[in-house]
Amino acid sequence: MTMKVGQNFIMDDKKRFIVVGAGGIGTWLCAGLIRLLEWKYPGSGLIIVDGDNYEEKNKERQEFTKLGNKAVVKAQELTLQFPNTTIIPVPKWVVGEDFSGVADEESPKIKATDLVKENDVVFAVVDNFAARAILFDAARKLDNVDVFTGGNDDELFGSIYHYQKRDGVEITAHPEEFHPEYVNPPDKNPGELSCQERSEIEGGTQLLATNMAVASFILGRVHKTIVNTQSPDETEIFFDLGLGKAEPYNRTHSHLNNQTEILV
Amino acid sequence: MEATSNNSEPTRQTGMANIRYGVYNQPSNIAGKSVQEIRSQFSKIWGIPSDAVAYCGKDKLDENAVIQPGQNIEFHRRAGEKG
Repeated sequence: MTMKVGQNFIMDDKKRFIVVGAGGIGTWLCAGLIRLLEWKYPGSGLIIVDGDNYEEKNKERQEFTKLGNKAVVKAQELTLQFPNTTIIPVPKWVVGEDFSGVADEESPKIKATDLVKENDVVFAVVDNFAARAILFDAARKLDNVDVFTGGNDDELFGSIYHYQKRDGVEITAHPEEFHPEYVNPPDKNPGELSCQERSEIEGGTQLLATNMAVASFILGRVHKTIVNTQSPDETEIFFDLGLGKAEPYNRTHSHLNNQTEILV
Repeated sequence: MEATSNNSEPTRQTGMANIRYGVYNQPSNIAGKSVQEIRSQFSKIWGIPSDAVAYCGKDKLDENAVIQPGQNIEFHRRAGEKG
């Protein structure tokens, strides 16, 4: 059976995972997700989306074996090792529904709504809030979907968030309810920038340990909520590797609706 | 929904409430204090920025809202951006 990007894919115990961003977090996350799919859900699909290229300097934090487009290189690597999973590279930048710029061979694009379909499990591990917001907004239009995101700042600080919908009902709150950075992103979606503008974006100060920790926290949530189908009570987790602390926050609507009303 | 103070002096019942920010989570004797007072108390030790919005559940709190015993107040921390 062949699988296409944008095709609804839910058959028995098969899954369709979409990893958007195959960089500092994405490479480590792919290493875990592919093993989960290969042995727990054989015959499933892993779609890797990234318009960017691996460069020599990325080796400090990112796991890859050759230079080239991140989606293509990572898909080739994993296909050789994991024959029971269909791995599809999408060497494109994800853009929003209202994108009106140029999509040419130099900078190919895919609309988030053409990528994310019912029953997908999406991993938005990009390096900016603007692209994350586009993916969450596309997922919000669906009835059954999971979106995991994660990021890091300040070297040893990181966080993850899990947005879930079932049968048209939001189980967890859209992150914009708690994070103004999703409503008015302070950054730009690289997919909507020129090549020159993209090359000028700073990667910031990031550490391998923090990238890997974000990936591990996401994998932990996948194990609990997707594999074990338990409630996503630990919807958002903040961690600080320097302090050795992690703190979960329950953003499920059932929990939030029972919080004590504020008084004045 | 944003809770706001009214014109009458609010009831300031003191006691324990819970305050959270990022990885920090601490029961504290903050009931009876306003959001502004709590922010001032914890901003330096936890690094809470002046624009971090305070919430109780889904309710956004204004700076004059007074915390009651047993409540959970959370100053929202910006999510991790890079990856």
